[in-house]
Amino acid sequence: MTRLTALGTYLPVWGTDGARAAGPDEDVVTMAVAAGRAALADLTDAVVTRVVLVSRDLPLLEGGNSAPLLAGLGLPDDVHTVEQIGGAPALLDALAEADPGTLVIGADLAPAGAAAAYLGAEGVEISLTGRVVRSLPVRSRGEDGVRRNYEDPRLESVRGGDKAVTLLDLDTKPVVVAGVPAKHAATLTDGKPPALPVVGAAAALFAVAALEYVGDGGLVLAVEQASATAVTVSAVPRVRRDEATAIAVPRRTTTPGPDIAISLAAYERAFDSKLRWEAGRCDACGALALPPRFRCLECGSETGWSLSPLPRAGEVYTTVTVHVPVPGLPTPYSLAIVQLDGVEVRALVKVTGAPAGTTQIGDRGTLVLRRVAVRSGVPDYGYALLPQTAANEGETR
Amino acid sequence: MKRVAIVGAGMTVFKEHFDLGIKELVPMAVSEMASHVDKGLDRDDIQAAWFGELTTSDGFPSGILADSCGLLDIPVTRVENACATGNDAVRNATYAVGSGAVDVALVVGADKVRESSARSTFWEWASLTRDMAWDYPLGLVAPANFALHAARYLYESPATREHMAMVAVKNHKHALTNPKAQLRFEITIEQVLNAPMVVAPFGLYDCTPQSDGAAALLLVSEDVVDRYTDNPVWVRGVGLGMDRVMHQHKQDMTTFPPTVRAAKAAYAMAGITAADVDVAEVHDCFSAVELISYEDLGFAERFEAYKLVESGATTFGGSMPVNVSGGLKAKGHPPGATGVAQCVELFEQLRGDGNNQVDGARIGLAHNIGGPTAVAAVTILGNQKD
Repeated sequence: MTRLTALGTYLPVWGTDGARAAGPDEDVVTMAVAAGRAALADLTDAVVTRVVLVSRDLPLLEGGNSAPLLAGLGLPDDVHTVEQIGGAPALLDALAEADPGTLVIGADLAPAGAAAAYLGAEGVEISLTGRVVRSLPVRSRGEDGVRRNYEDPRLESVRGGDKAVTLLDLDTKPVVVAGVPAKHAATLTDGKPPALPVVGAAAALFAVAALEYVGDGGLVLAVEQASATAVTVSAVPRVRRDEATAIAVPRRTTTPGPDIAISLAAYERAFDSKLRWEAGRCDACGALALPPRFRCLECGSETGWSLSPLPRAGEVYTTVTVHVPVPGLPTPYSLAIVQLDGVEVRALVKVTGAPAGTTQIGDRGTLVLRRVAVRSGVPDYGYALLPQTAANEGETR
Repeated sequence: MKRVAIVGAGMTVFKEHFDLGIKELVPMAVSEMASHVDKGLDRDDIQAAWFGELTTSDGFPSGILADSCGLLDIPVTRVENACATGNDAVRNATYAVGSGAVDVALVVGADKVRESSARSTFWEWASLTRDMAWDYPLGLVAPANFALHAARYLYESPATREHMAMVAVKNHKHALTNPKAQLRFEITIEQVLNAPMVVAPFGLYDCTPQSDGAAALLLVSEDVVDRYTDNPVWVRGVGLGMDRVMHQHKQDMTTFPPTVRAAKAAYAMAGITAADVDVAEVHDCFSAVELISYEDLGFAERFEAYKLVESGATTFGGSMPVNVSGGLKAKGHPPGATGVAQCVELFEQLRGDGNNQVDGARIGLAHNIGGPTAVAAVTILGNQKD
């Protein structure tokens, strides 16, 4: 039995209520960070000792995605991190068996969404009710990560999910089902279960969060192909939703061209400041500089600096929108120089989560981790401005 | 410091020179310059050369100048200072001649922007001016670099996109009569405002074209000037100004401090003020940059640049003609060549045989601002020694 202290969810603004699409600057890592931050947002003294990220869409980086994940979450770089390839059942397995202090995150690309659960000493109880592991590989991935689909939904539901549920031999019917289409889920429950925005690993946590709509604890079932896991959740958990109101995916042009060059030496030097959103604070006078620099902007000291967290909110000082095709970057896109609140620091960033050209001088927003570009195959993470818009006001519902 | 005079000037046409490489354009400009030296030039007189080239086309720039122009016996120094390259090459040669180290110096500026594919040009040029980790991946294309300033300028000042358009219309009109100009056609304010957006607030006609070309000047000391001409143009002042490299570190983006610094140095050296300037070639890579530069150069009070285009003061025939050559906007902008070519234009104006000749022009000013808006150069020329 584990205790779920807090849940956080994240949905990209793009797409429809039924199916969100990741922005061109989002991937599993940035969405996992958004969900993880939502889960931890209201916990003042939560200590995270382990992070488990479950997804079938992990960026295929040798060396893994743990470093940007920890940096984006603001966690120390010695936290044990597990990147697990898996779907909804794998996530429920992780949830039911995690030690206190674990942050379990699921993230999916299509449809897009992420959710995170912090397991601590307090919170609703989660216990494993049953598990069945079988093989019916109707979807597979090649070495390049590209998905192949067997395309037989009847086979998948009859000999996959339905048979798995039969084998689980559950005493009661589930109240929420993750990992299968809504119609199929309805056949496995009494009445109409809450619809979930995703079907992969994150769906399992969206299912637990959906107990809010059920109004009580109950049996949560996760299915993937022919495997399934069921857990019993004692009560409605605490949920913080970072879910913007959906807006249509804007028309974007992608221009082929040569790879965008990267210097990994420069990448490595900038990493902590750039991904942790921390400025260099002058050891002599305390002035902040982003990026950190050898010689202080204010006092000229060259004695040293240390990283210092930056405010994550600010106001647009100037902004422009690039319409001309730029190879490797979807256009149009907006750039902004943001004056951060309460400090003498401005940041030059891209605008995210709002159609290009809709942000004006004086607008306010928050700074969020995004994939700024993919450079010669390397995801290059940094911060972007998420403007306060009507759609983004859906935040922290 | 000895006084320095320009006694010869020449340039190629600015255009997409797909048919000519840097090894052709450079000697063509030098030969045209030599042919314009009133009393002739023996190339053996040239004691040193400064070559402004922003990118490297076909390899080692200094060597290409020496090799392609038959100048193997003199030292050649390549100057690279973003879009201020050309006027900085002039500045370096001026110091060399002024110091007495050499009496005759060659200045060449050249660039071939259209040498790489349209798709690869952007990232190649971005790497010249952007922080590799922080700015480069954002896609801060060259127009965006200046548009960040223009957007704030439009926000704070009374100027509008119509005023920006007036700059483009004016400079296109000036280029009509310039045989060296790239865009020799008139445009209207409506065309500028309705053109496809490049980087808002810049539409297509707010932007300079991509150009290839070369320009050359011969700088000599006052000791030997009589050997070359009886009608020299004097280098009265030079200045170079810098600023913080990253836009996020620029306090006030409605002004270009490098221009203010470069102009202050050049005016002080020349012993003049902005009011003494009769004709100016001002960096108008994007329309709003010319407006902001009026203020930085002292031609207009802060946020009153729009009045100069509204009144026609900076149009040929007005009280303070700017970019009578067509400017970068219509004459073209091969960055290394641009500043040198501005001085070619002023050389002709101050000798009374310029395109759109300004009556009685005695003092001319050339100005560039470039890179991540972090460097500017100003050169002041005069047809009087003092």
